[in-house]
Amino acid sequence: MKILSLPALFATALLAQPQLSRIDESGYQKLIQSQSGRVMLVDFWATWCAPCRQELPLLAGLESRLRSKGLRLVTVSADEPEQERAAADFLTKSGISGPAYLRRAKDDDKFIRTVEPKWSGALPALFLYDRRGRLVQSFVGGTEIAVIEGAVRKLL
Amino acid sequence: MGRAGLGLAVLWSAAGFGQEFHLGARAAEFKLTDPRGVTAAVDPAPGNATVVLFISAVCPMSNDYVIRINDLYRDYSSRGVRFLVVNSNQNEEQAQVDDHARRAGFLFPVYRDPNNAAADRFGAQSTPEAFLLDGGGIVRYHGRIDDARNPARVKQRSLRLAIDAVLEGREVAAPETKAFGCVIKRARKTT
Repeated sequence: MKILSLPALFATALLAQPQLSRIDESGYQKLIQSQSGRVMLVDFWATWCAPCRQELPLLAGLESRLRSKGLRLVTVSADEPEQERAAADFLTKSGISGPAYLRRAKDDDKFIRTVEPKWSGALPALFLYDRRGRLVQSFVGGTEIAVIEGAVRKLL
Repeated sequence: MGRAGLGLAVLWSAAGFGQEFHLGARAAEFKLTDPRGVTAAVDPAPGNATVVLFISAVCPMSNDYVIRINDLYRDYSSRGVRFLVVNSNQNEEQAQVDDHARRAGFLFPVYRDPNNAAADRFGAQSTPEAFLLDGGGIVRYHGRIDDARNPARVKQRSLRLAIDAVLEGREVAAPETKAFGCVIKRARKTT
């Protein structure tokens, strides 16, 4: 039987935790460009945002149903670094398997303007991009999943 | 109008982004309801400056600013700055708002905003979100209180910088900022 030392066990436990990639304003632009050819739904959320937490499992289900048709869901957490672990855990619990990011903007104002100039940064916020990487629709505030699905299906 | 344009137009109009009292505009009278339930018109230009601050009783982001809001009030009300702290969320009951104000130890009343009419005129989207009017009722600042939820990580105290500038008769260096917060829960429009 293999016995792991305490530090090794600790390191193993850390490695088992899903990690969120950092994303800033330039990274966001690259992300949009990299998904060209797919319909992309970007969900800005945070662990402290109750409607965001309600929405995430529904979005995971939506992506699961429509992934074969070309939908990709990307999540961007607006949490502070000290909430990263909780954010990663919640994504796992919600069934999110796609790319997951933690917002680490060099300049918050610039980041938000990069996503959508009219957006204040209020959560929850979803941004729908077509296969050419163009922002087609924005959903700020809790939105019924049927409304989101309807908008997505028009692009698939 | 193409599909993209229509989608955005529907979203932004539904959320009340008309923003009549935008940066640089002169605010007109607007109505607020005080904690006793009395609704009255508010003069936007009664003194040195007015801070209109939209908050929530339940939004964790807004609640993380409770101490900072009290500090702002304490530091600037004595210098003639009026604070109108407003809860426009239609899903928060009056008792909830009153209880929150008591627990937070607010040094000022929290006003209600029936049918989020004031939030619509200011174009407020989230909590916490601040507007600063000068003595002439002109909107001189719109945006966040500061740039970090965690007070230890704050680099720019945006609202304080704006108030200082207005009180000293200077231009506000960063008159419009953005911030992550909770969406203001508005009344459903039936039109």
